[in-house]
Amino acid sequence: MNVLFPATADAVLEALRAHPDARLMAGGTDLLVRRRAGAVAPGVLVCLERVADLNGVEVLGDAIRIGAATTLTAILENGAIRERLPLLRDAAGAFASPPVRNMATLGGNLCTASPAADTLPPLCVLGAEAEILSSSGTRRMPVADFVTGPGRTALEPGELLGSVTVPVPGGGTIQHFEKVGRRKAMAIAVVSLAALLRVEGGVIAEARLAWGSVGPTVVRCPEAEALLAGRAPTLETFRAAGESVRRAVRPIDDVRASAGYRRRVAANLLLRLAEKAGPAALG
Amino acid sequence: MSPLPSMGSRSRRFDAPDKALGRERFAADEYPENLLWAGALRAGAPHGLVRGVDTARAEAMPGVVAVLTAGDVPGANRQGFIYWDMPVLCGDKVRHAGDPVALVVAETREILAEALLAIEPDIEPLPVVDGLDAALAPDAPRVHDLETGNVLKQATVRKGDARAALDRCDVVIEETFFTPQQAHCFLETENGTARMDAAGIIHMTVSTQSPFRDRYEVGQALGIPQERLHVIAPFLGGGFGGKDGVTVQCLLALAAMHAGGRPVKMWWSREESLLAGYKRHAARMRFRLGAGADGALRALVCDLDYDTGAYAHLGVEIMALGLEHASGPYRVETLEANGRCVYTNNPVAGAFRGFGVAQVSFAFEGMMDRLADRLGMDPLELRLQNAIRRGDRNGVGVAMTASTGMAECLAGLREHPLWRTRGAWVREAPPLTRRGVGVAAVLNGMGYGRGLADMAVAKVRLTVDGRFRIYNGVSDMGQGNSPTFVRMACHVLNQDESGMELVQPDTDRSHPSGSAAAGRTTYTYGKALIRACEAMRDKLLHRAAMALLVDDVADLELAPGAVRHPATGRALPLALLGSKLHPDDRCCVSEAMMPVTRDVPEGGEAFRLGFPHLIFPYAAHLARVEVDELTGRVAVADYVAFTDGGRVLDPQTYEQQVQGAVAQGLGYALWEDCAAEGGRLLATDLSTYVIPGAGDLPDIESHAVETVEESGPFGMKGIGEVGMNGPLPAVASALLRMGLPMTRAPFTPERILAALGGDDS
Amino acid sequence: MILSFTLDGEPRTLDLDPGLRAVDVLREHCGVTAPKEGCGTGECGACAVLVDGEVRLSCLMLAAQLDGRTVTTARGLGGAGPHPVQEALADRGGVQCGFCTPGVAVTAAAFLERHPDPTRAEIRDALSGNLCRCTGYHKIVDAVEDAAERMRKERGGRK
Ligand SMILES: Cc1cc2nc3c(=O)[nH]c(=O)nc-3n(C[C@H](O)[C@H](O)[C@H](O)COP(=O)(O)OP(=O)(O)OC[C@H]3O[C@@H](n4cnc5c(N)ncnc54)[C@H](O)[C@@H]3O)c2cc1C
Ligand code: FES
Ligand code: FES
Repeated sequence: MNVLFPATADAVLEALRAHPDARLMAGGTDLLVRRRAGAVAPGVLVCLERVADLNGVEVLGDAIRIGAATTLTAILENGAIRERLPLLRDAAGAFASPPVRNMATLGGNLCTASPAADTLPPLCVLGAEAEILSSSGTRRMPVADFVTGPGRTALEPGELLGSVTVPVPGGGTIQHFEKVGRRKAMAIAVVSLAALLRVEGGVIAEARLAWGSVGPTVVRCPEAEALLAGRAPTLETFRAAGESVRRAVRPIDDVRASAGYRRRVAANLLLRLAEKAGPAALG
Repeated sequence: MSPLPSMGSRSRRFDAPDKALGRERFAADEYPENLLWAGALRAGAPHGLVRGVDTARAEAMPGVVAVLTAGDVPGANRQGFIYWDMPVLCGDKVRHAGDPVALVVAETREILAEALLAIEPDIEPLPVVDGLDAALAPDAPRVHDLETGNVLKQATVRKGDARAALDRCDVVIEETFFTPQQAHCFLETENGTARMDAAGIIHMTVSTQSPFRDRYEVGQALGIPQERLHVIAPFLGGGFGGKDGVTVQCLLALAAMHAGGRPVKMWWSREESLLAGYKRHAARMRFRLGAGADGALRALVCDLDYDTGAYAHLGVEIMALGLEHASGPYRVETLEANGRCVYTNNPVAGAFRGFGVAQVSFAFEGMMDRLADRLGMDPLELRLQNAIRRGDRNGVGVAMTASTGMAECLAGLREHPLWRTRGAWVREAPPLTRRGVGVAAVLNGMGYGRGLADMAVAKVRLTVDGRFRIYNGVSDMGQGNSPTFVRMACHVLNQDESGMELVQPDTDRSHPSGSAAAGRTTYTYGKALIRACEAMRDKLLHRAAMALLVDDVADLELAPGAVRHPATGRALPLALLGSKLHPDDRCCVSEAMMPVTRDVPEGGEAFRLGFPHLIFPYAAHLARVEVDELTGRVAVADYVAFTDGGRVLDPQTYEQQVQGAVAQGLGYALWEDCAAEGGRLLATDLSTYVIPGAGDLPDIESHAVETVEESGPFGMKGIGEVGMNGPLPAVASALLRMGLPMTRAPFTPERILAALGGDDS
Repeated sequence: MILSFTLDGEPRTLDLDPGLRAVDVLREHCGVTAPKEGCGTGECGACAVLVDGEVRLSCLMLAAQLDGRTVTTARGLGGAGPHPVQEALADRGGVQCGFCTPGVAVTAAAFLERHPDPTRAEIRDALSGNLCRCTGYHKIVDAVEDAAERMRKERGGRK
């Protein structure tokens, strides 16, 4: 096996040109597990761990740009993310375990495109945008479009995910993330919910919701979002939206949980928002 | 004058510093020069006839040293304890997905992996016996050729006429409980290295709980005289019963016979360990309990079915312990316990901490909770009222003549603040959360039981340089028996730890002392060791008398590093004594055997070995439990265990056993399940077989109720197992208090949410 | 590929297939068996080592990634003697079978560098990727608390 360590994004693209069969490896926490299972046997690996310009968090006015090779630990510990994107921070906090977070990257999480990827629901409700690099230029698209199915992305051969830019929601927005796994840490999501709730004058002005692990990729539910708008954030309100959630999700049975459980919990998780939004609704 | 921590005080374990530094060498850490790698090809199919195994492609691969199939196995090709039913390599039939059909020896791991992929087994599928119902169906396909179908053993144990008594009871409760297969999940998976020397002797270093019996088992299976097998058992990276009996041993020895004298290493991956390793028996337990209106237990009738998977292993003995413990730590006037040990195409079930008792603990405690509910009694008071006391006869009629601290454990719990304040705690539950506080009272027979000598042979040697070397004969899988042996030897010989050396079991150096099992390791070997050390002390005083010009050994004493004559202050250094004595004279060997009961209940004759027991450790556990109503997630907020393990030799080791067992028990209660579908495991690795992590468990408070077990070394009895039996019923008890009557473990969020009911569209 | 790295303070140079797993390089090719393998899939933390001071799972790392790095295992964690975490683990009963212990030790040591005064909950969080089947974690948490105190005292003493 040949392992290359380019130092810049351009050098990565160059390496991909020189070795069309090469695989990219960021933290390796997906790729090397798949290699062990015999699912992949790459001859050439282009390792992103020493590429400086793919790594790091940068505040750009009302948005935060995160390099694709930034680790989950770096995301978790970043001050700007903690303050302004608690949703993403919480998702990073619920991700795997500290040692895995030291290795796993945001780009790897998006490119693996697992239905259970923890960063996807938050990035979708936040309206994040992916930046795709190739030797012929750069293109951008919403993260929601970047992931096209389980294990599938919009990346073309020779392309590389460069970064993700996340708009910071306006003040007063409630950001909520909850992951249901089989144990506290080291758990692949059975269901996860990312929610943005803007509450004004005691009613929900806008709701954005996204679920993980209940469909081939992130599930949105515009019907529930519409139902919530204009209502007080009470248990009854969230309960009323449950039915449309149960209809929208497309869960499967697997060793971790049944489809029925996932469907029911996907709706139930909304009720947690009542607790979180309750005080805001009063104030 | 003793410079040592006295028995009973808290001290650092002798083995801990090297382990913390990563210096201890486990079996897995052996990489001898010129190493070959061995691996097994697993059937994949849970049930089928082996038509052939095409090894040609694998054999032709460069770097492949040998490819072996059933025809290459000399000897009986059968492993086992009592029922020799498990092939080393399957030639005719495979009975579970992890059955090995070929063995490869190769130069590297990579070549090994490729060669295993290149072998093509031709297996004609047979209908799969996927559980108890399938196995017991009238026309069930047979896993083995038994006249009794798939029932390996059926037995009934009786005390009085329980059925008649049941009819006369004021209340009768009936319920059926189910427990899953559980994987041991020791961190060090099954492994070892082996080499055959020029004289034809096979030397093995294996992660094993039973080095001496391994020789016998491997010898039988491969037709090798035991004297040609040498087994070393270094510290194990966990065992819990899963390394009691051969795992890699037969395959390794076979590989070594085809390795041209080179060392061979076999190390099961985690995936392979889950597929092919032993498991705890899944069980179905139907209970009928009758009581008087006053809460007195009058009759218990139960039917216990244990799924032993593809092979017997210790399944019959495990079922026997289920029958023996079916009535829990209670006085019950009459009992009828029916047991069946059943073959299926599930993974092989074998020994696991709580040996058959962890299962029935869920059932008998579940019955006590339901009875308390029915009678409107406090569940703890009901338990206390019926708790077995010294002098009583237990459920199978054995008189409790040994220490019996069940009531004391319960009494301790009753006074505990977490029990006393349970009402307030439950009332203060946050929104969307239910709370409950549960209790459980449990026990676990210690030792092998009647019929199988529970014996150990201890050896201690004075080295030439004046130190004492203890030759441990019972594997230390982490429970800390061997550091406790050091502690005992220090005490009897009045030495400090710097004067001690510890050798782990080695069939060439130590003596057969049984397996690391049944809470017996410290008890039996410890008793033998005390005797050996006393003999050594006596010997050294006598040998020193001459040199010190003393004519009565009563005037002499052993001191750290020397024999001393206090009257004159003269001393003879042990180093000097060691250098002078003949090697034969520097060694003391003594033995001990655990007492057994002579009481055998009606029906007990069915079990020649291991039934019933005389000495029991006891425990009472409390769990404060929270349930999230939105997800069904169960969290154990607090946990308290009161344990009667006789005298406490060292609180630290004692608490370690309690806490570790409780953790494993909570895993059993909440997460762990080797569920198989059609004989194929659903949980294949540590991401799907979930064991609790640091964030999933509460602090575990441990209290010792110190009875004195007169027969035990320094008054102790073994507590390795009893702690395992409490968590499942304690959590179930808490759930029942919240209106969630659970009869099927583990209590997954999914099952809890279903029990919570409510909208489900 | 020629790999050069520092292992527990000693320079090492080996000629190896860059696609080997780091855990095998350390254990089999360097003879340093402090890191253990409990799963090979990143779940158990037994193989944890420090790479340039940060915790890494050596079962999910390639040999090539070691090149130019400084690798510390439990064997070299404390330099010449034991690290305070290792002393505390041994003293406070955080070691039973000991197979998880080297991974726990390096993970806890790295954690305490950044969090000198953690709560029990934070310690449990930090160790949530290190499975232990023997202890139930209680005494491991005790030990890390104790180590934090020992390290604070040491630092205080040095001032
Ligand atoms: C023990 C364990 C626990 C886990 N727990 C979780 C969890 O809780 N939540 C969760 O979401 N995931 C979890 N995962 C999965 C995994 O850690 C994540 O998906 C992680 O984010 C992958 O990142 P990586 O850098 O390691 O990816 P890698 O394995 O390096 O790469 C994954 C894939 O993405 C490609 N790739 C990587 N970077 C780029 C790029 N910049 N451009 C184009 N392609 C790229 C690679 O070629 C590869 O195909 C877990 C994994 C393990 C082993
Ligand atoms: S062996 Fe690396 S995490 Fe388990
Ligand atoms: S001490 Fe055995 S796994 Fe932790």
